[in-house]
Amino acid sequence: MTLLHLLRIDLRKLTGYRTFWVVCGLYFLTLGLTSASGMEFLKWLARTFEDFGSKLNINRIPLYHFPDIWLNLIWCSGLLKIVLGVMVVISVTNEYSYRTIRQNIIDGLSRRQFLASKILTNALLSLLSLALITVIGLVTGLIYSPVITFDRIITDTEFLPLYFLEVFFFLSYAMMLGILINRAGLTIIVLLLSRVIEAVITSNIDDHVPWLIQYFPMQSIANMIPFPAPRYAFQEIRDWVDPLSVAIVAAWTFLFNWLSYVKLKRSDL
Amino acid sequence: MENVLTIRNLTKRFGRLCAVNNLSLTVDRGQVFGMLGPNGSGKTTTLGMLMGVINPTAGEYLWLGEKPTHHIRKKIGAVLEHPIFYPYLTGRQNLELMAMIKQAPTSNIPRVLDLVELTGRENDKYRTYSLGMKQRLAIASAMLGDPVILILDEPTNGLDPMGIAEIRSLIQKIASDGKTIILASHLLDEVQKVCTHFAVLKKGNLIHSGPIDDVGKGAEVVEVSADVADLDRLLDTFTGLSALHRQNGYLQVTLKDGFKSKDLNRFLFEKGVVASHLVTKKKNLEQQFLEILNTHDESL
Repeated sequence: MTLLHLLRIDLRKLTGYRTFWVVCGLYFLTLGLTSASGMEFLKWLARTFEDFGSKLNINRIPLYHFPDIWLNLIWCSGLLKIVLGVMVVISVTNEYSYRTIRQNIIDGLSRRQFLASKILTNALLSLLSLALITVIGLVTGLIYSPVITFDRIITDTEFLPLYFLEVFFFLSYAMMLGILINRAGLTIIVLLLSRVIEAVITSNIDDHVPWLIQYFPMQSIANMIPFPAPRYAFQEIRDWVDPLSVAIVAAWTFLFNWLSYVKLKRSDL
Repeated sequence: MENVLTIRNLTKRFGRLCAVNNLSLTVDRGQVFGMLGPNGSGKTTTLGMLMGVINPTAGEYLWLGEKPTHHIRKKIGAVLEHPIFYPYLTGRQNLELMAMIKQAPTSNIPRVLDLVELTGRENDKYRTYSLGMKQRLAIASAMLGDPVILILDEPTNGLDPMGIAEIRSLIQKIASDGKTIILASHLLDEVQKVCTHFAVLKKGNLIHSGPIDDVGKGAEVVEVSADVADLDRLLDTFTGLSALHRQNGYLQVTLKDGFKSKDLNRFLFEKGVVASHLVTKKKNLEQQFLEILNTHDESL
């Protein structure tokens, strides 16, 4: 069975499911609108400042100028990945609550193929997110940048593949939780609390083993794609790719998918 | 005859509970094989292992003489426990999805829908179906890949008498095409009507296996009554008698091997008694089943 066929099987399950269209529609709409309307936000901010008598030169804040735009867009869009994560949880836990995973296996999918069909959908959703961000970045960048040169456009685009990795990492995590927990509500709660739980743990070990913190999954994402705002407060930010953080994220992504496979292989359905 | 299914020492434990214990069994091509047993006797667990959804603790099984793979499962049509479909998809969409999984041509879909008489409702969402329609869609889905083997687990569960009759004639129709069918049920009447062979499970143990024609063999029971006062004392003197019970106002005479009802009739006539009621009771599967279970009660 080809990978494309497996992907088509999972998409057939999803495309007949209204919740999928609603959630994905909202996700891509929000992603598009928020990332395209940062300029409007700046204008609103400037008007508000004027009302108080002070002046804000929005051209001093080059949110949408190449090359700043890439990291700005990628960092902000990363916040929305939770929506897709919830969709993946629903897709996986539905298979358990309807027991269709059992019937899929009975009908002749192997457990590995079943998992592959889910992973491929995760990859596709990540790819679509990447495509949307790339298009929005190019369009808004070309509109708002005062200076447009090829060099400026491609600077920092090395963060685009990392954005794909970030989304795929998170969807793999959501899928793994779904396979381990099986129940939608509980899985979504754990998914939403993951960052908080991790923060509690890391702040407690901060004094003892600070070097360990960078290896935590959610922290590794934060390390891979740095928070861009400080550069507008005249601070230096890292605008190059840190190979170690990418390796850590990639390792976690592999681990999530592998654990899903091990759990699925061993469980009675 | 070709072995379709060979089970060797199959065992499944859930913690301390032994759901299936050391089960060995063969099913040959063309058989309609009934798996009997009270609820919780391990029927569904066994079928789950055979279909790859439950990992056996020990033992092995062969389909068509081969080690099981997901490729073989595509040639088996199986519905375990109750129909399972995506409720938000229509009947047809569900079958299309299943055809993709089984890599069967979608041109089979109209044929199987016709077979179970669901053609008019194919474009309605599965969740709007009645229980009978769900069961029928499940049978349609099992037939989708043109299977050589069909596994049905309680296919008439929860159906009304008409639905049960429909499913039964459907099974007989499919069986007449020469397909091998494995049917798990606790409806003994059902199994007796459609099966050629049967096995009895109890608490995970196989306690009987054989052709259904064997049912009814063994000691004959004759029900008699006559207008004489001391019929029971008279019958006690009959040489062919092995046991005598009173039931439903009649005397139930269990005959010794080699004695038939006509011997009893002749005996009575020679004694000058004319029976007003004399019926040979054919033992049915239900009695046989209960007998098998009872004789194993002590040993388990």
